[in-house]
Amino acid sequence: MSGHDSPPRHRRVALRVSGFVLDYLFALPLGCAIALLWANTLPDSYYRVANATAFFVNDIGIVFFFALITKEVAEATIPGGALHPWRRAALPVAAAFGGVIVSIGSYLAFTHWAGEHMLESGWLAACAIDIPGTYVIARLIFGKHPAVPFLLLLAISADAMGLALLAVSQSLGDVHPVVGLGLMAVAIGSAAALRRGGVKNFWLYLLGPGMLSWWALFLGGVHPALALVPIVPFFPHGRHDRGLMVEPAPQAHDTLTLFERWWRLPVEGVLFLFGLVNAGVPLHGLEAGMWAIPIAAMGRPIGIVAAAWLAIAAGLHLPNRVGWPEVLVVGGMASIGLVFALFFATAVMPLGPLLLEMKMGALMTIAGGGLAFVVARLLRVGRFAR
Amino acid sequence: MDRKPAVRLTTILIAVSVWWTVTAQDFARPSSLNSVKFAAIGDAGTGASAQYDIANQMTRFHAKFPFDHVIMLGDNIYGGQGAQDLVKKFSQPYKALLDIGVKFYASLGNHDDPANNRYPLWNMGGQAYYSYASKNVRFFALDSNKVDQKELTWLENGLKSAQEEWKICYFHHPLYSDGGTHGSAVDVRVAFEPLFVTYGVNVVFAGHDHIYERLTPQKGIYYFVEGASGQLRKGDTRRSAMTAVAFDQAESFMLVEIDGNQLSFQAISRTGTTVDSGTIQRQSRTTASVSRLVPPAR
Repeated sequence: MSGHDSPPRHRRVALRVSGFVLDYLFALPLGCAIALLWANTLPDSYYRVANATAFFVNDIGIVFFFALITKEVAEATIPGGALHPWRRAALPVAAAFGGVIVSIGSYLAFTHWAGEHMLESGWLAACAIDIPGTYVIARLIFGKHPAVPFLLLLAISADAMGLALLAVSQSLGDVHPVVGLGLMAVAIGSAAALRRGGVKNFWLYLLGPGMLSWWALFLGGVHPALALVPIVPFFPHGRHDRGLMVEPAPQAHDTLTLFERWWRLPVEGVLFLFGLVNAGVPLHGLEAGMWAIPIAAMGRPIGIVAAAWLAIAAGLHLPNRVGWPEVLVVGGMASIGLVFALFFATAVMPLGPLLLEMKMGALMTIAGGGLAFVVARLLRVGRFAR
Repeated sequence: MDRKPAVRLTTILIAVSVWWTVTAQDFARPSSLNSVKFAAIGDAGTGASAQYDIANQMTRFHAKFPFDHVIMLGDNIYGGQGAQDLVKKFSQPYKALLDIGVKFYASLGNHDDPANNRYPLWNMGGQAYYSYASKNVRFFALDSNKVDQKELTWLENGLKSAQEEWKICYFHHPLYSDGGTHGSAVDVRVAFEPLFVTYGVNVVFAGHDHIYERLTPQKGIYYFVEGASGQLRKGDTRRSAMTAVAFDQAESFMLVEIDGNQLSFQAISRTGTTVDSGTIQRQSRTTASVSRLVPPAR
């Protein structure tokens, strides 16, 4: 029997999935669970510790999580990647745009209807789609189906739109935009010079341009968590991409791959701390505002499907083997906000009860994974097709 | 099972409560000419009859106790926040007080439109948090919805430089509360309380839970929850060791007078019944005490 010659199907899938994603599955939920338990049993000590460490986790540690996400995008632009050529991303980008618009609209409509006017300034968190979380659900439902890269491109696009909006709409602290812009120009210029000079050691990119970029964003009033986003694309990379969120080849020794291998474990710790610092919310006593992000997430599939329909009407094409049932399921998966929603919430809302409501809402979007399974089953899509 | 003893006990308790209630109304505010007199309302802006009744009681008490300003503890306007709402839920119910020159100083709650900090009758000067002084009292109206480092630095500098004898802070989310629906806002407490303790804040007022509550001093500071000046959650109090007095059977508001080193307070229900009153002595903060306490009318 062939089953004796090759590993079982689920084992084969697991072998291909990036270790980063598997770590994410372990570290973040563990941090979240401890935070929830701690905040609901010893809240004073929890909030003291969380407030004291939030900056180091949310503004410094998480830089490397976004760097690993950026690495995936950077690799996707090389031959074999999902973003090569760029026009392949047109439909997911259009769908993401629709999802972002309807999410933000749903968020604002709900906060207005519920009379939670103070929460209206947190609309940016409505954009967030959790990339690793949706990827895991997508692999569980679709296996290696083309719907998976479609979903990932959609999620990356939505978050990129959110990050761009974050950069232009939120200024943090005392802002020195001219100094920030100048430093950023030096950071990007030095990264380009390192690349042109054939430098392969990723530490030189991190300690030089990376640190400059962090200071540039910090002084410019932009969230410094994005510091490595403009630097990582300059890392030397392999000639061929194996796909989004898949384990690099064992023989690969390009800078991007070495960077991922070295930082995978520290980022696992960062994700644990991110869950620990940000997911501690009281399970009792929150206002109706905690529903704002889940309702925005529920509106997102409508926006995705509508925008995809309009884009197709305008001449774009769905990927092979991806039909409307798959798009609907992808829309359901895209309702998971989790770590990205938590990040956006902490980026746009200062400490206080409103932030707790937003965090609770971000955690509740985990239910989107179940929603995707239900929709997939109803529509007989992916693993339910047989 | 013989229920008669229980019935008798209940009757006695009701009789005692009525006696306390009647007695409480005899505690007229000691209105001194040079004192600071103010009222406190929270979670008021419903535009419903309860808010109007409270406003009428405030006007009635003003004749005996001429307070010159009102502190608003947030959720000053529920639902729509337009010009008509500001009339129906603020300027109309408190018209009699506004007409005689009583000033309102607001802090904002989660249901308020942040843009309403520019509403002239709330005297916020377009700020989410601000400070003002009246004689020997320094008031700090804070923003508990969004507590950032900028606000904490401003508060620390303000408390540090305040020359007045009394420091009073007020905002929406209570640092301590036995309200069953929300309870203590511990995340805000962790941010504010160290400054309150370090720089000698004497009394703190908050709303959010739709009850009246006076808490036992916490780290030397007196805390009041007055979130029932329009909204009400009957029976929402979950009494604990930190409950001094709680009243959740009707809407209420507070009257406060500060005369030298003495702060007197009175919590009054929608029907004009005094549900709590007492006096706080401002000695050193850690030795301050409440005297002449009146149990709630329940």
